[in-house]
Amino acid sequence: MTSFPAAAPNLVDRILAPGGLRVELQPILDVEGALTTVHSYECLSRGPAGTNMASADVLFEYIRRKKIEQNMDRVCIEAGLEAGSRLPGLPHFAVNVHAITIATDPDLPAFLKKAASARGISTSRLTVEIVEHAPTWHEGSFLETLTRLRELGIQIALDDVGLGHSNYKMILEANPDYLKIDRFFVTNCHNDRKRRAVIRSIAELAHEFEATVIAEGVETREEFDWLCDQGVRLFQGYFFSRPRPVEALMENTWRENLAVAVSHKRSNA
Amino acid sequence: MSEPKTILIVDDEEFIRFALSEYFSVLGYRVDVAGEWEEAEALLASRRYQLVISDLRLTGFGGTEGLEIVRSIHQRWPGTRVMLLTGYGSGEVKAEAVRRGVDAFLEKPMPLPEIARIADCMLARTA
Repeated sequence: MTSFPAAAPNLVDRILAPGGLRVELQPILDVEGALTTVHSYECLSRGPAGTNMASADVLFEYIRRKKIEQNMDRVCIEAGLEAGSRLPGLPHFAVNVHAITIATDPDLPAFLKKAASARGISTSRLTVEIVEHAPTWHEGSFLETLTRLRELGIQIALDDVGLGHSNYKMILEANPDYLKIDRFFVTNCHNDRKRRAVIRSIAELAHEFEATVIAEGVETREEFDWLCDQGVRLFQGYFFSRPRPVEALMENTWRENLAVAVSHKRSNA
Repeated sequence: MSEPKTILIVDDEEFIRFALSEYFSVLGYRVDVAGEWEEAEALLASRRYQLVISDLRLTGFGGTEGLEIVRSIHQRWPGTRVMLLTGYGSGEVKAEAVRRGVDAFLEKPMPLPEIARIADCMLARTA
């Protein structure tokens, strides 16, 4: 017999409560010649299991509609760094921060420093990925906060380049260290002349800005091979490793699959 | 075997969500539920539904936010049918809902089998 569920706590409270988010880490690989290393891990958050918010797309759309990006970003940073701090060695981490948070939260650099320090992570091991570049990103303390993040040794990445508000003006003013090419352009790029043109254009832009391209959403060997041939070095996607809980990453089996994937490219080179 | 019909139920009362969700699930629908408009909007941004059943009044809005739902859904997903349920429906509000393109405007309380029958008829017209 199905029973009527007990009254659930407010959804926002559930998401923001300690332990309300599930964290998965996805490696970003640096493939250069015969050497493949983990460049960094992107910290990704999912909502409570069994709710609509278990889907990242739904979760962050909800957060933006509730206009609680700033609270959410802080909770995600804490949860992501907490999970990441359990990995051995001194890995680097990328944390996602909404542009509106950077523009309206002048205490973000201090918060990041404290959150990282509490977990034994140097801020020089952090990259802030700017996401959802709302049209108001340039207001408030956006550029000043970016400067202060850089003073802490934190690098800046621009997410979803080519989509939404991730435009030339943003690239010009934020002067990111990394341009992340969205999966929309990467998917099937080896077969699509127009996608190839967009990727080449972003790569050229990155070169002029002395930024590094990260290709997101790489899922096939063909995409990987073509991107390698364009000089892309940093990769992220299911072809290498899906996002995993930190426990699964520590098992290291994903590294064996990775070795097979990358060695295939070399054998064809 | 055909794909199950997809339905989104929006109501701030958990009991109503639960009752509608259970009933339509048993009938073979694939059901999502949302307790507030922002949650519904977040779902609608990434998933497509054939039918949305929403309360006219949702917590945190002015009392006729269901009308906004009708407009928003028809702008984004013109093929999606919208059914509004209300316990406070004046003739004026109903007229406005119809003007905005609502497909059914039902007054509570309404027996679940009757809601399901109307939903079936609406989706049959779409098919």
